[in-house]
Amino acid sequence: FQLHFECLFFVFFKFRADGLVNEEVRRTLDLSTHLAKVSAEVLVANHGASAVQSFTLALESDLAPHLAYIGASVKGDEEEDNSLALKETSIQGRSGTFFQVQLPSALAVGEKLRVKVETVFTHVLHPFPSHITQAEKQLVVFQGNHYLYSPYPTRSQTTRVRLASKTVESYTKLGNPSKNDEVIEYGPFKDVPAFSQDAMKIHYENNSPFLTISSITRTIEVSHWGNIAVEETIDLRHTGAVLKGPFSRYDYQRQADSGISSVKSFKTILPASAQDVYYRDEIGNISTSHLQVLEDSVEVEVRPRFPLFGGWKTHYIIGYNLPSYEYLYTLGDQYALKMRLVDHVYDDQVIDQLTVKLILPEGARNVHLETPYPIVRGPDQLHYTYLDTFGRPVLVATKKNLVEHHIQDMVVHYTFNKILMMQEPLLVVGAFYILFFTVIVYVRLDFSITKDPAAEVRMKVASITEQVLTLVNKRLGLYRHMDDAVNRYKQSRDSGTLNSARKTLEAEHRALTNDITALQARLKAEGSDLAEKVGEVQKLDGQVKDLVCQSCQESERLVAGKVKKETYITSEKTLAGKRQELIARIDGLLDAL
Amino acid sequence: QNLSFQLNYPHESSASFSPNMAEHHTVSECKHKANPNAGGSLSGNGLSGGLTQPAGWQSLLSFTILFLAWLAGFSSRLFAVIRFESIIHEFDPWFNYRSTHHLSTNGFYEFLNWFDERAWYPLGRIVGGTVYPGLMVTAGLIHYLLNLLHVTVHIRDVCVFLAPVFSGLTAISTFLLTRELWNQSAGLLAACFIAIVPGYISRSVAGSFDNEGIAIFALQFTYYLWVKSVKTGSVFWTIGCCLSYFYMVSAWGGYVFIINLIPLHVFVLLLMQRYSRRLYIAYSTFYIVGLVLSMQIPFVGFQPIRTSEHMAAAGVFALLQAYAFLQYLKDRLTKQEFQTLFFLGVSLAAGVVFLTVIYLTYTELGCLYLYSVYAKIHIPIIASVSEHQPTTWVSFFFDLHILVCTFPAGLWFCIKNVNDERVFVALYAISAVYFAGVMVRLMLTLTPVVCMLSAIAFSSVFEHYLGDDTKRENPPAEDSSDEDDKRNSGNLYDKAGKVRKHVSEQDKPEEGLGPNIKSIVTMLMLMLLMMFAVHCTWVTSNAYSSPSVVLASYNHDGSRNILDDFREAYYWLRQNTDEHARVMSWWDYGYQIAGMANRTTLVDNNTWNNSHIALVGKAMSSNESAAYEIMKSLDVDYVLIIFGGVIGYSGDDINKFLWMVRIAEGEHPKDIRESDYFTPQGEFRVDKAGSPTLLNCLMYKMSYYRFGEMQLDFRTPPGFDRTRNAEIGNKDIRLKHLEEAFTSEHWLVRIYRVKKQENRQPLEHKLRSVLAKQKYTSKKKGKKLNKKSV
Repeated sequence: FQLHFECLFFVFFKFRADGLVNEEVRRTLDLSTHLAKVSAEVLVANHGASAVQSFTLALESDLAPHLAYIGASVKGDEEEDNSLALKETSIQGRSGTFFQVQLPSALAVGEKLRVKVETVFTHVLHPFPSHITQAEKQLVVFQGNHYLYSPYPTRSQTTRVRLASKTVESYTKLGNPSKNDEVIEYGPFKDVPAFSQDAMKIHYENNSPFLTISSITRTIEVSHWGNIAVEETIDLRHTGAVLKGPFSRYDYQRQADSGISSVKSFKTILPASAQDVYYRDEIGNISTSHLQVLEDSVEVEVRPRFPLFGGWKTHYIIGYNLPSYEYLYTLGDQYALKMRLVDHVYDDQVIDQLTVKLILPEGARNVHLETPYPIVRGPDQLHYTYLDTFGRPVLVATKKNLVEHHIQDMVVHYTFNKILMMQEPLLVVGAFYILFFTVIVYVRLDFSITKDPAAEVRMKVASITEQVLTLVNKRLGLYRHMDDAVNRYKQSRDSGTLNSARKTLEAEHRALTNDITALQARLKAEGSDLAEKVGEVQKLDGQVKDLVCQSCQESERLVAGKVKKETYITSEKTLAGKRQELIARIDGLLDAL
Repeated sequence: QNLSFQLNYPHESSASFSPNMAEHHTVSECKHKANPNAGGSLSGNGLSGGLTQPAGWQSLLSFTILFLAWLAGFSSRLFAVIRFESIIHEFDPWFNYRSTHHLSTNGFYEFLNWFDERAWYPLGRIVGGTVYPGLMVTAGLIHYLLNLLHVTVHIRDVCVFLAPVFSGLTAISTFLLTRELWNQSAGLLAACFIAIVPGYISRSVAGSFDNEGIAIFALQFTYYLWVKSVKTGSVFWTIGCCLSYFYMVSAWGGYVFIINLIPLHVFVLLLMQRYSRRLYIAYSTFYIVGLVLSMQIPFVGFQPIRTSEHMAAAGVFALLQAYAFLQYLKDRLTKQEFQTLFFLGVSLAAGVVFLTVIYLTYTELGCLYLYSVYAKIHIPIIASVSEHQPTTWVSFFFDLHILVCTFPAGLWFCIKNVNDERVFVALYAISAVYFAGVMVRLMLTLTPVVCMLSAIAFSSVFEHYLGDDTKRENPPAEDSSDEDDKRNSGNLYDKAGKVRKHVSEQDKPEEGLGPNIKSIVTMLMLMLLMMFAVHCTWVTSNAYSSPSVVLASYNHDGSRNILDDFREAYYWLRQNTDEHARVMSWWDYGYQIAGMANRTTLVDNNTWNNSHIALVGKAMSSNESAAYEIMKSLDVDYVLIIFGGVIGYSGDDINKFLWMVRIAEGEHPKDIRESDYFTPQGEFRVDKAGSPTLLNCLMYKMSYYRFGEMQLDFRTPPGFDRTRNAEIGNKDIRLKHLEEAFTSEHWLVRIYRVKKQENRQPLEHKLRSVLAKQKYTSKKKGKKLNKKSV
C-alpha cells in the first residue's frame, strides 16, 4: 500500500511538475439528443518551470467505454480552429482513459492557450423507466461528473447542461445550479483539484429519436466504366425505453402525443450526384420513402415500413450510383479513390458496428488504404460479378462506435493496367464468336450417324431439275431468236443469214437437247419419276422445233413467192397457235417440276 | 413463274392441301419483295439454305416470328414488375420462393430432406416429400448456372422472371406441336396466340412463381414429343417424350392429365382400327419408361401403380399388348374362324376391363366434376378455394376471347381430315373443355389446345382467302387421309408424285371467290385478331397483373397510392417478434407469413390437415375465453388477421369468416354451428342486428377492436365498416387475453399478442407419462387436447 501511494504521489508530482493549470473551464453538456456531446473550452496556463510540448486529457472511467469521438483544437484568434493530434496514453494509478495532446508549438512558461475539447459519448443516456407504454413519455437518466475530469487543477469552471425538454424529474444540485427552460447551469466552481469527480445525475424527459444503427455494411463497388455503386445494409434499432403493452394504431393516428418517442421517419443525405437510389429489404421495395434532389445533396426521407417504437428494430438496404469522375483520380496506371468511409444516415447518428467493403476493379494491384482514423482491416477477399474471371479484390474494414464526426474521407490508392479494360468486351465478343461458330458448324456439318439416302437423292434431283429448267428455258429462248431471224429475213430477204441462223439454232438446239437428255438419264438413275416428265418435255419440244422449222420453210417459200401472202398468214397463224399450245403444255410440265 | 414453281419443293412434312399453300405464298411474296432476283438452287433443308433461297427466308421468318412471340409474351407479363416491383405474388408462390431459396442456399439434398418445422406447428411438414420439386429445381438450376458464370442474380429475380421466360418456351413447344398437327403457319399462329392469351398469362405473369408456369411448357412439349413418336414410331422420340413427361411429373400434379390422355388416345386409335407398329412402339416405351421415371419423384412415389387415376394407362398398356399379340397371331395363323372368335373374345374382355378401369378412374378422381360436387357438400375447405369454383361462361370469353369461338372450327378441320395425331388433339380438346367447365383453375389446360385449334382455323381461313389467285394454279398438296402410310416411307419427299395425282382437283377450291369477298373476309379476320390482341393486353394489365401483396389505389388526379400494409405487418413480425414465435392466422396467409415474416405458422395454404385448420377456424369463431384455451394449447404467441373495413378491401377475414365457421363446424359440430352466426332472418351481418354469437366471437372482436371509436369521414358514424357498408354492432370491445401488438397503417393487417398467463408458482417439471401421451395423440378434438396436455 505504501508503495502504491508512493507511485501515486510520484505521478501526481509529475503532473505538478508540468505546472499546467486549467485557468478557466467552460463545459457544455449537450444532452438534447440521444448522444452526450461534452465539449469544454479550457484555458491552459503554464505555471511550471519549463515550456511544455503536450498536455493530457482525461476521461472518467464510467464514460470512457462509451466514447465515440474525441477531438481537441486550439482556439485561434481567427475563425478556423487548428485541430491537434491525439495519442492515447495511460497514467499509472489513475482510472480512466487519457489522451496526450500534442501542441502545435511549445507553451512557454507563463503563457496561456485556449483549447477546445470535444467529446461525444454514445449510449450514456439510459431510459428510466426502461419500459414505457405508448402514451408515456420517455425519461432518461444521465450520470456524469460535475467537474471537468482533468489531471490538472482547475481555477474556475462552469458547466452548462442542455436538455431536450423543460421537464426534468430531478437533477443533482451541487452548488445551487440555476435552471432555465432546457438549460441547467452549474458553477462557477473555484479551485477544483486535479482528478476530482462529483457524480452528476439528471433525470429528464427526452423524446428525441433514440435510433442506433446496430450494424451497417457499406459496400462500395468501383467500376472503371464510369460508375461507383454504393450499397448500405443497415440494421436499425430504437434503443430508447422499450414499448410495454399494446401498440394501438388508433391512438397513434388520432393523438398527436401518442408514441412521441417513436421514430416515424428520418432523413438520409446522399451525395449530390447520387442516382438510381433504391430503398428496400428482404421482401422487396419499401414504398414509403421520398426522394428530394437538392442542389448540393440528394435527400431521402427514409420511412421504415413501420414506426419504430422502443426496442423495435428494422433492417433495410439503401443503394445508389455515383459517377466515378467525381471520386476517382488517375495518373497513368495509378488510381486514387477518395470517398467517405462512412456516410450520413440520419442526424446525430450512432453506429455500433461498421463494416466497409471496397470492391475494386478486377486486376487492381498494390492496394493501399488511407483512413482518417484508425480502423481494423480484415483479410482481403475476392468478389465475382458480371464477366469476372479471376475476381475483384475486396478490402474489408471494420470499426465500432461511430458518430457523425466520423463522416470523413478515406483514400484508396491502387494501380490498374488499362489494357485490362479490354478484357470484358473481348470476353463478350469471344462468347458470341463461339456461339455463332458453333451454330455455323452445327448447321454445316452432318452429325447424323446414319446416312439419309432419301434426302441426298432429293437434293440431287432438285439440283438436276434446276439445271433442266434453265436448259429448257434457254431452248425456248432459241426459238424466239429464230422467230426474230425469220422476221428479219422476211424484210431483208437475205437467205444467207437465215441459213446461218438456222444452222446455229440446229447446233445449239442439239447441244441443249443432248444436255437435257443426259440430265434426264441422271434423273432416271436417281430413280426419280421426274425423268418421265422431262421425257415428255423433250417430246413436246421436238414438236415445237418441228413447228419452228416449218414456219421457217413457210417464210422461205413466201419470200421465194411460192405461196401467197394470205395462205402464208393463215398457215403461220395455225403454226403459232400450235406452238403456243405446246409451249403452254411445256410450261405446265415445268411447273409440275 | 419460275420463282413460284421452285416453291413446289416444300420442306414441309405436313400435309393437307391448303395450309401448305398459304405458307408458300406468303413466303414467296415476301421473297418477291425482298429479293426479286432470288434464284439459285433449291435445297430441301431449311436450315442450310441461305437468304437467297426460299427455305432460308422461311426459316428466318419462322425464327423471327417465334422470337417476337417470345418477346411479346415475356414483355406483356411484366406489367406487375413495371408498375410495382420485382416481387413474388399472391400466396403459393411465396412458398415456392421460400423453398427455392432453401434449395439454393442449402443444396439439393438438403432440400429433399427438408423438414420444415415452421409450418403446421406443432406437426411440421416434410417439404421434400410433399412438393413437386420441378419448379424449385428449375429455378435453382438457373440460378446456379448464372452464378457459375458470375452473373450475380438474386434468386428472387430468377423466380420472378421464370414464368415469363417459360411462356416463350411454351410458345415454341406449341408451335412444334401445331406444326406436327397441321402445318408451320398454323404453328406460328398458335405460338403467337399462346404467347398472349390471358388464360395462360393469368398463371404466368412475372412474379407468379407457381408450378403451372413451367408445367404448361412441359405439358405441351410432352404432347409434341408424343405426337412425334406416334408419327415416327421411333424410340428416340419416345424416350424424349418420357423425359419430358418426367419433368412434367416433377413440376405439377396435372401430369395425371397426360397419363390419362395418352392412353385414351391409344385406346381410341385402337377403336378406330388405326393400330400400327409405330403406335405399339411409342406407347409401350412411353408407359414403361414414363412409369419408372415418374416414380422417382418422392411426392409421387408408388402412386402410379397404386392409385386409380393411373390405372387407365396400365389397362391400355395391357390391351395394346394383347392387341399386338393378336396381330402377330393373325399373321401366323390361318384358321380364320378360330382366330376371329379368339380375337373377338379377348378384345371384348380387354375392352370391358379397360372400360371398367376408365370408369372407375373417371368417377373417382379424373372426373373432377363429381369430385368437386362431393367436395362442395362435404369438404368445405376445398369448396372455399375460389379457384375451385365452376367456370362461368364469362370467364371463358374473358380468358380466351375470340379463340373460344374459333376453336370448334379448328376442331372440325381436324376431325374432317383426321389422322393419328389429330385424333389426339381432338381428344385433348374435348377433355380439356370438360375439365375447364368444372373448375376455373383448369382453364389453364384448355388454353393451349384452344390456341392450337384456333390457329388451325385461322390459318385455314387465311390461306383460303389471303392466297394469290395466280399462285393458286400451282398444284396443291396431298390428301391427308393417305399420308399416314406415306409417313412410313420417305415422308415428304415424294410430293411430286402426289401432285400428279391431284392435278385434276387443282382448280376445284374457291373458284367463285371474288377479290372483294376475299378482302372483306381477310379484313374481318385481321380485325378479330387485332381485337384479340387488344383484349389480351387489357385483361393482362387489369386483371392479372396485381401482385396482391401490394395494393394500389388511385386518387382523383390519377396519382397512385401504394398500400403496403401486408408487407408492413409481415416485416414487423419478422423484425420484432421472437424468432420462434408462433403466429396463428387463417390458412390463406400461412405461406406469406412463412415467406415474408419468417415465423412459425399453424396452418398454411398446403391444406393437408383439415382438422388442424378446423381448430384454427374454431378458435377464430369461438368467444375469447374459449379461443384462449385453444390458443394456449396450440402455443400461439400472435394472432394475425386481415381487416379491410378501413379501406374497403373486400378479401378480408370477416368476409371469409363463414368458411372458417363451416370448416370448424365440420370437425366440431357440437361447439360451432353455422346457424348461430346468422340473424334469425338468415343474414350474415356485422351491425347491431347481427347475431350475438358473431358479435362476440374472437374474429369479430379482433377485427373491430377500437374500430368503434374511429370515424372515417364526416358522413358516416364512427365504426362504419366500408367493406360491408354497415356501422358495426359491437363498439365496446374489450380484450382480456389478447392485446393489440401491431396494426398496419391502413388497418389492413392486425396482429394481436396472446398474453401469457398470470405468474404462478412454478411447478417442478414432471416427465409426461407415456400413457397420457397416447391418449393425447389419440384424441382428435381440440378441446380434449388441451385438457390432456398437463
